[in-house]
Amino acid sequence: MEAPSEPRLDAKSEVTNQLVDFQWKLGMAVSSDTCRSLKYPYVAVMLKVADHSGQVKTKCFEMTIPQFQPQLLATSSLLSASNFYRQFKEIAAVIETV
Amino acid sequence: MAAGEVEGGKPLNGLLNALAQETFHGHPGITEELLRSQLYPEVPPEEFRPFLAKMRGILKSIASADMDFNQLEAYLTAQTKKQGGITSDQAAVISKFWKSHKTKIRESLMNQSRWNSGLRGLSWRVDGKSQSRHSAQIHMPVAVIELELGKYGQESEFLCLEFDEVKVNQILKTLSEVEESITTLISQPN
Repeated sequence: MEAPSEPRLDAKSEVTNQLVDFQWKLGMAVSSDTCRSLKYPYVAVMLKVADHSGQVKTKCFEMTIPQFQPQLLATSSLLSASNFYRQFKEIAAVIETV
Repeated sequence: MAAGEVEGGKPLNGLLNALAQETFHGHPGITEELLRSQLYPEVPPEEFRPFLAKMRGILKSIASADMDFNQLEAYLTAQTKKQGGITSDQAAVISKFWKSHKTKIRESLMNQSRWNSGLRGLSWRVDGKSQSRHSAQIHMPVAVIELELGKYGQESEFLCLEFDEVKVNQILKTLSEVEESITTLISQPN
């Protein structure tokens, strides 16, 4: 009987987590003490993730619109390259073919 | 020779660069004395200090208001006209500096105002996971995603997540809702 083969984790984190929940909101930063005219929209994400033991943690982070999908804003610079949405589309395309 | 009379754009441009590094990009450490001796060696320290303060104030005002080019010209013109203001040569140097650095300074200001973690990077791979018991084979591809997150000025934290195909498609659906929301927001007149 063969044992299941685990994916080789060469990621920088030691632990892989399962995603339990994905919540999001679209916010607008208007002004701050260092900049009176911020005016930028951002996507705030709250992930609930469970590790192998079942312990659930919450991770929050933010993305600018260009980080989420550069094509949505005419003024996007190419400085931020994450392109969160497009990368998930690519993952979906690849996982379908595997 | 007073600081206000010194020109050639290079020293002032260098000064503005140093101020931007310190004020916006979080790289302090260039002392006033070093700046003076490198850029304005003929200006005495007691004159250099108020000059530096004036330039810092102007740069902060421009960045804080995220001035467009019309606002910038109007603002700088007003500065040239006031008592103890700037020269028109200096205004030209400041104008050129803001035009070429505006995007980067703005990005730094955005990063500084974000107190949650920001997304610094995303990498992924898809693994084919196979199990076999006797001769039955179950093939379950798995996406392994690594998110690099980090707060301003702090080291990155890495979060590794596993998704099966069903989950990937669920997330994709959620992300399309996010995109729809963004499109609605952007298309609204403000």
